[in-house]
Amino acid sequence: MELKIQNVSMTYPSGKQALKGLNLDLKSPSLIGLLGPNGAGKSTLMKLLVAALLPTEGSILVDGAPLNKVEGKLKASLGYLPQDFGLFEELTVTQFLDYMAALKGVRSPQAAIRDVIRAVNLEEKARAKIRTLSGGQRQRVGIAQALLGDPPFLIFDEPTVGLDPEERIHFRNLFSRTAQDRLVLLSTHIIEDVQSVCDQIVVINHGQIRFTGTPEQLIASAAGHVGAFWEKDEKQEQGLHITARVNTSQGVRCRAVADQLPPYAQAEEPTLEDAYLYLISREAVQ
Amino acid sequence: MGKIFRYECRRLLWNKFFIGLAVVLLLYGALVLHSVTILGVSHTAPFSPWSFGDYLSRMMLLLWLGMLFFLTFYTSPQARRAAILMDATPMPPKQYALARCAAALTGGALLTLLCMVEAAVFYGRMFHWYSWGSLLLPALVTLLPALVFALGSGWLAGQIRPWLVYVWMAVPFLLAALPLPEALGLWNGSFFTAYPLTLETLDPAFTVPEVVLLPQGIALAAGIVLLTAWQNRYPAAA
Repeated sequence: MELKIQNVSMTYPSGKQALKGLNLDLKSPSLIGLLGPNGAGKSTLMKLLVAALLPTEGSILVDGAPLNKVEGKLKASLGYLPQDFGLFEELTVTQFLDYMAALKGVRSPQAAIRDVIRAVNLEEKARAKIRTLSGGQRQRVGIAQALLGDPPFLIFDEPTVGLDPEERIHFRNLFSRTAQDRLVLLSTHIIEDVQSVCDQIVVINHGQIRFTGTPEQLIASAAGHVGAFWEKDEKQEQGLHITARVNTSQGVRCRAVADQLPPYAQAEEPTLEDAYLYLISREAVQ
Repeated sequence: MGKIFRYECRRLLWNKFFIGLAVVLLLYGALVLHSVTILGVSHTAPFSPWSFGDYLSRMMLLLWLGMLFFLTFYTSPQARRAAILMDATPMPPKQYALARCAAALTGGALLTLLCMVEAAVFYGRMFHWYSWGSLLLPALVTLLPALVFALGSGWLAGQIRPWLVYVWMAVPFLLAALPLPEALGLWNGSFFTAYPLTLETLDPAFTVPEVVLLPQGIALAAGIVLLTAWQNRYPAAA
């Protein structure tokens, strides 16, 4: 499966421009991490990809055909977990998934439901009413409905929100396994999730793509721009983007990113989080 | 599609609100039958189509409310948030809307049936009267246009703003309080009490003049037209 986003812009009726001239190629198999601050345009991009919105400019091609012409085909190959979604509270987990399986036209729904319930560790709650579930369990139902029918294209918008660390790791591994033979787009604020599983990263800010490449390339772009120092004076922080501040018995140890590190800062190996913050902070300065 | 219809029926009908509504409907029905219908309207028998029509008009307040109550399952903020998931599936929106619409109509039909069965039992027990076929016409003329219009207009209102569905529930109560012209007499029941008197015969046969039928036809057509707008997506998806 291949998606081509060509010069896509999206302006809402309110006048807010969410995306500006976006160009992006997504090809399976791949697990692509979509990073960006709040309001960067990530969710808008995802809504465009699931045909919930139409771009005001540009086009999206699915295997070479315009999305509006193959909307049904795209949706038949799609598993989507939005950032904010509702469930039918009065149904049980199994009933809700059966409902979604009917909407998705899943063949052998019983087996498919059993598989996804197992995949998201909800066997014990399979017969529980959705209204009785915790936030994390609801999120898992959301992930399960996206996985129903083994779709070749998966979009997860903030999938690990509300999950505890153990669950997060479980789902990171699940996404990684899922992406072995399909296209998975994962939007998140949790850099650690991206670093652990994504082979490609797209950084979006102010409705424009700021970076596309591998996590290693993003990290390399911040080399020489990450440093640490012992804070002696608050003025030392001026012009720096502080990414960590640790109170120790010897004083306050600061980690910072900057275009030009001050002489009192000792260069450090950048992490993906440093690189991401460097990219975003550099843009803010510009 | 059959499965979606069954699940929607389950959602709409298998809950405490529906059971509560059915109980209230039966209690109110019993009250109307034993205090008003039993006396007959406009010098007609209690089991005349006129008296039965008057009973249905009074019950329409609750039937309208029930019909719009079913819609709240589709228009509430929670339902709109769930619609984001549904919209991303390959099920054609028209088919999906049809299944949901059919479930809401089934709910309305069940409540209506409850009212009619209650009246039939009342007529049987009180008067040993069982010619129910003669009551079909007043039931169709009174309820069908009103309930289809309630569903269509309520859906539209809910798409504009979810809370408008609750405001729309007050419409029949308002109509019952207003002095409506003869043409709209079926909407507040005044037709069944006033029109037989103008026929100047004792226990007249049930007829509906064209001037009264026309608004009913318009309401039915408007309801159907509005229902065809069901395939429109929820604005929440945008």
